[in-house]
Amino acid sequence: MDEEEKASLAAAIREALRVIIDPEIGGNIVDLGLIYAIDVEDGGIARVAMTTTTRGCPASDYLKDAVSTCVWDVPGVEYAEVRLTYEPPWTPDMMAQAE
Amino acid sequence: MQGATLSRWTMAYFAAACLMLLAGQGLMVAGYGYPAADIAAPETLVLVHVLAIGWLSLLMAGALLQFVPVLVARPLSAAPLAAPALALLLAGLGFLIAGFVALSGATDLPLFFMPLGGAFLGLGFGFVAIILAATLFAARPLPLPACFVATGVVALLGAILLGAAFTLVLSGVSGNPFLARLVAGGVELHAVLGLGGWLSVTAAGVSYRLLSMFLLSPETERPTSRAVWWVVSLAIGLVVAAVATVLLAVPGKDVLFVAALLLTLAAGVLYSGDVRQIYRARRRRQAELNIRASFPAFAALLLSIVFVNIPIVRTGEGVAAITYLFVFGWLTGLGLAQLYKIVAFLTWLEAYGPVLGRGPVPRVQDLVDERQAAVWFVLYYGAVAAATLALFWGHAAFFRAMVLLQTVATLVLMREFVRARRLSAVPAATRAPAGFVRPHLFCPPSASRR
Repeated sequence: MDEEEKASLAAAIREALRVIIDPEIGGNIVDLGLIYAIDVEDGGIARVAMTTTTRGCPASDYLKDAVSTCVWDVPGVEYAEVRLTYEPPWTPDMMAQAE
Repeated sequence: MQGATLSRWTMAYFAAACLMLLAGQGLMVAGYGYPAADIAAPETLVLVHVLAIGWLSLLMAGALLQFVPVLVARPLSAAPLAAPALALLLAGLGFLIAGFVALSGATDLPLFFMPLGGAFLGLGFGFVAIILAATLFAARPLPLPACFVATGVVALLGAILLGAAFTLVLSGVSGNPFLARLVAGGVELHAVLGLGGWLSVTAAGVSYRLLSMFLLSPETERPTSRAVWWVVSLAIGLVVAAVATVLLAVPGKDVLFVAALLLTLAAGVLYSGDVRQIYRARRRRQAELNIRASFPAFAALLLSIVFVNIPIVRTGEGVAAITYLFVFGWLTGLGLAQLYKIVAFLTWLEAYGPVLGRGPVPRVQDLVDERQAAVWFVLYYGAVAAATLALFWGHAAFFRAMVLLQTVATLVLMREFVRARRLSAVPAATRAPAGFVRPHLFCPPSASRR
């Protein structure tokens, strides 16, 4: 995979993740700034770092599973790994526009 | 595991609590207990405990089972105790009420039901305390909101021990002079530990986190918030010391009690300032109904703390009106307002969490119809204010009429909770995505679902 293909796959993953909403705020998790990083490596290996609006949120595991499901379904992804992190903790400043 | 998941038994706690609220209000509408009976009469004890244990404590316990893991970002410890705790609490309340009814002379039931109820309640609340304490202990050092919960659990244990001692004396099981002194001089301390220490301190602590979460305000730990915790903890310490003076028959109870009330006033003022700051720092332009409907509760808290610090009001008939404002304006108002959100949130997690990412799903907000509920919150608080004034001025008939209005408003709000559970307000297009499982009304989800 050349760099252009990796960037293209990362963009496709980012786009696919827009279907997932944060249940409380209502916006999609990409625009809310909950996706910290999407790295694509050779062989279609995708690694996503994400967070939730609050540490300990009861929806955390559901959101993580949803991201994983979405990433696996993107054509070109051969392996997906999703990591939940609170470094740095999410703040409302990270979202484009609050509801 | 990053932290919290869905608490399986919380909805069952909420359902039982709501039924108890309706029962308590129904008793008042029927003229049972104060003001028709004396403030210390067995009938009033029935009423007070249906509301304080059946409604408020079950509500608080159910909410903490869900939200303490959120506060400390750890899963609940000893979670299997949640179901037996609920069963013990309901059985204990039943026996306690039966004992009070027997004490009133209305039936020939044995008075022994009172200490039996005390024992069951002690076990039930003990289980709840074990769950909370074990979860908090494993999460040290605690974030500030969790410190409030820890203080609340200590106050709960104090209230239970005092209450259990009362049942031994009132039933005639024990004639111990130490315990008899407690009954004579410790009733207000029992009430303050329960309504103030356990229910209010815990509610205030959790509210710091929930308000920030729901308003998208920065979750910063303010020095004033920490001061609130220190001040209320000190106040509870003074109340516990006052209990000791009663037990040992040494002077000082009144001074300690008044000092605790003054500290509570300081804490109330600081807490109100914190709530105002959290609201002003919000990133959410329009606060949702659960927040807007909490404002009158915060006002009721502050008003009742101010009034209880005025000696002539506290010591006269006014104490019943203050207690009513505190229980229904502050604790019940806040409880109903937050239930409005929490029921929808937990229902969303149960119904749509497992299918998130597989297609469009509704937002939590789509599970409720705020315009409809807002009217009933206005009616509810209006009725509480009128009922409080009626109690203060001694108009029993008007009081019952206002409680009836309050009960109707409560019933309609509970219908809204049921509608949220039934997903009635959710647009048809997103109501039932593939793979979704409709939640039970209040029974726990099956173990395979989180």
